Amino acid sequence: MSHPKLANIFNEDEKKVDWHDKALWFVRHKRDLSAHKVKGWETLREFGHQIKAHTLANLDQYLIEFEKNALSNGIEVHWATNAEEHNKIVHRILKECQAKKVVKSKSMLTEECHLNPFLEERGIEVIDTDLGERIVQLAKESPSHIVLPAIHKNRHEVDDLFQQHLNTKPCNGDPQYLTQKARKHLREKFINADAAITGVNFAIAETGGFVVCTNEGNADMGAHLAPVHIACMGMEKLIPKQDHLGVFLRLLARSATGQPITTYSSHFKTPAKGLKMHIVIVDNGRSEQLGKPDFRASLHCIRCGACMNTCPIYRRSGGHSYNYTIPGPIGSILSPGKDLKKHSSLPFASTLCGSCSDVCPVKIDIHSQLYKWRQIITKEMKQPMLKRKSMKIMGSLFSNPTQFNRFAKFCRWALRNLPKSILYAKPNVWGKSRELPKGPKMSFTEWHQNRENTKRMKNNG
Amino acid sequence: MSIGLFIPCYIDQLYPKVGIATLELLEKLNVQVTYPSGQTCCGQPMANAGYERESLGACQNFVKNFKDFDYVVTPSGSCAYHVKKHYNIMEQTPTTQKVRNNIFELCDFIINVLKIKDVGATFPFRVGLHQSCHGLRGLRLGSCSERVGNHYSYMEDLLQQVKGVRIMPLNRADECCGFGGTFAVTEEAVSIKMGKDKIKDHLNNGVEIITATDMSCLMHLEGLIMRNKQPIKVMHIAEILNSGS
Amino acid sequence: MDSRSQILTKIKANKPEPMDLLHIDPSIFDEGLDVVPAFTKTLEAVGGNVCPIDSMEAVHSKLKTLLPNARFTHSTLENTHEINTFSFDAIERPHDLEDLDILMVKSDLAVAENGAVWIDDSKFPIRVLPFITKHLVFVIEEKAIVPYMHQAYEKIRDFNFGVFISGPSKTADIEQALVIGAQGALSLTVLLLTADTTP
Repeated sequence: MSHPKLANIFNEDEKKVDWHDKALWFVRHKRDLSAHKVKGWETLREFGHQIKAHTLANLDQYLIEFEKNALSNGIEVHWATNAEEHNKIVHRILKECQAKKVVKSKSMLTEECHLNPFLEERGIEVIDTDLGERIVQLAKESPSHIVLPAIHKNRHEVDDLFQQHLNTKPCNGDPQYLTQKARKHLREKFINADAAITGVNFAIAETGGFVVCTNEGNADMGAHLAPVHIACMGMEKLIPKQDHLGVFLRLLARSATGQPITTYSSHFKTPAKGLKMHIVIVDNGRSEQLGKPDFRASLHCIRCGACMNTCPIYRRSGGHSYNYTIPGPIGSILSPGKDLKKHSSLPFASTLCGSCSDVCPVKIDIHSQLYKWRQIITKEMKQPMLKRKSMKIMGSLFSNPTQFNRFAKFCRWALRNLPKSILYAKPNVWGKSRELPKGPKMSFTEWHQNRENTKRMKNNG
Repeated sequence: MSIGLFIPCYIDQLYPKVGIATLELLEKLNVQVTYPSGQTCCGQPMANAGYERESLGACQNFVKNFKDFDYVVTPSGSCAYHVKKHYNIMEQTPTTQKVRNNIFELCDFIINVLKIKDVGATFPFRVGLHQSCHGLRGLRLGSCSERVGNHYSYMEDLLQQVKGVRIMPLNRADECCGFGGTFAVTEEAVSIKMGKDKIKDHLNNGVEIITATDMSCLMHLEGLIMRNKQPIKVMHIAEILNSGS
Repeated sequence: MDSRSQILTKIKANKPEPMDLLHIDPSIFDEGLDVVPAFTKTLEAVGGNVCPIDSMEAVHSKLKTLLPNARFTHSTLENTHEINTFSFDAIERPHDLEDLDILMVKSDLAVAENGAVWIDDSKFPIRVLPFITKHLVFVIEEKAIVPYMHQAYEKIRDFNFGVFISGPSKTADIEQALVIGAQGALSLTVLLLTADTTP
């Protein structure tokens, strides 16, 4: 289903929309308070942008450097051109170490690759250990936000879910109690896991290490207890130097939740003695996107989710209305590169208000890219006849002032004289919940013409 | 200095009073303004809908009409932004570049070219300033809440000098109203919700008149206000700046 | 062609023109932060506690008053062995640490702007320790606090595993309600050795 259709369904429950909007606006507000406290914030964003742009311009070199250093650190490095290969690699590693139970911390990449169902079909239990992700996993849903996966669920829904799956007592949605129970439930999973999968927030070419950020500590609980740690990374996660973390870790959490830094920023460099560590570097369409000058900056994304929190459309349509792993503005510029047809409604799910670009910690020109995708979509995807024709007609009217004035005069007449039943008939979507403007008798052009004529007559007389 | 007045197509046809206020205001400020009668539209409606290519004729017509002026002034941040940002689809002749460089939104022009803050208006009402996005984040007519830096606003600079005006602070100072061109129709549900929320913010803060640099935002809000019979009105900022005295 | 070569070849063909790597001068972010109060304020804001102490000897008594009911405790600091209720040598699997009440670690680096404390595995022999423990206590000298992350990274060089920890583990995944104590430590305390007493 297209975005407008799903958004329409979401908007059937206005109270829920208000709640969702408010919850995310609150996060955006916390981000503002936090960012506005940092001296040189805008410079920091510019640095983030520049470092990412530089990295992309030398990505092959940096990947080679990263691989070399990671290998010498004792990490095994794997390369996957696409999602399927990524899943197969992970499965092979798990099979080799006879892992049946896997704990996984948040990784949008593994969501993108649909790793969970792939492993589950092969008899491996995968437990998402981020609380929000565990909630949506129990509900058999997908995350609706990349940082706040269960933001679409209220506390009572979580209460019900936990009663059903974790045998908790009814608690009227007490977050403290529910979190405590989840901690207990997940502790057991951590203790018994055969392998841990994590994402990667930043991989450092210079050191061959990588950084994983969480607030709950779930990535570390998994990675340090299980005998095998597999870190899955999109290849754009690379940065050249360790010092650059100073820039990105200052930007990431402030943009995401308004925290000055995530609770845990874990720097993995070598496997612990006797344990195994793997990194899977994944392309899955990224090198393709790299080849599109208008859109390559979308690869700068550090997955903070700020563009979602700020987006007035996201807040009022919910993450699931985007029907893509990464929802919101950033998802709307990433997804068309993956499947133009499937995601062709997303670049239009925006007023081009530009808030996303201004909030983005690495200064991705998101709204400009939305505009550019629109141009491509109308060319490459078959558009509704009405839209095509009306655009053509408008184009030709606006090229010709005489025709335009004649046509516009007719429209004004129609607005004044047609009965409401015709003006507000079904095809008038504008008029469903809004009044049309009244059609004035005289346009500005006509008024001006009259004024000029009067002036001229005065001068002549 | 020669100044060409661009009155956006929908203002020309649906809100002539905004065009009149703009012209009268500029004349009051002793500016000689020419209104080229061959003008139509900046091309934005097609372009934002993904049909930039169908807007080429409109863009060419625009440049043809305004190529001889030192400045192009328009009561729309959105149209000015479109000309500046998206006229790269045309051949960048010196003429095109000149038009792109010299187009100004009305408040921007008064503050930064005429260097006037007090336009001598009187308007004894509680006003809510709706920060139209393209003017705010496109043309940077004011600081936005996302970016870190000193607060400024050309619109506020002008309104603050208007006698009797009380600018009411809003809970969400610069959230989009949900118009967005064809978005208002293709994403009707969200557009309506955004508009309703926007109006509510103004109402909750005691606003009598919502004003903006763009009539398109106000057309959308007015449509909702009229349908829901709410006790609030919309006026383009040019109308306020041209009122009284 | 294997996947590695395929990916690298494609990147080579698609990457933009090379551009220079910018040089970062962190002094532009400097706002003359008073690091000790800034660190304290930030750490408290993210749910941590800061207790000033005037000597290493005070560590013991402080610990006793802070967490009187702790049974299973360990310190990696020198001369604090009486705190230890067990030896790491007795731990066969890290999983056996599940009941650990308190872990106390010395840190040589903390960051004022975000209340983060850096520790690496030269300071603790089993990596899961600072995460699995119920309560985490850091001992830090005031002079170990740097203003920003930029200065912190200037000091971080060799490590195998290291982590910045800012406050106790937390989540807001249930309706944005902040809950302290998610999967990691339930509380975090910094015992701050005041400057005039540090050697």
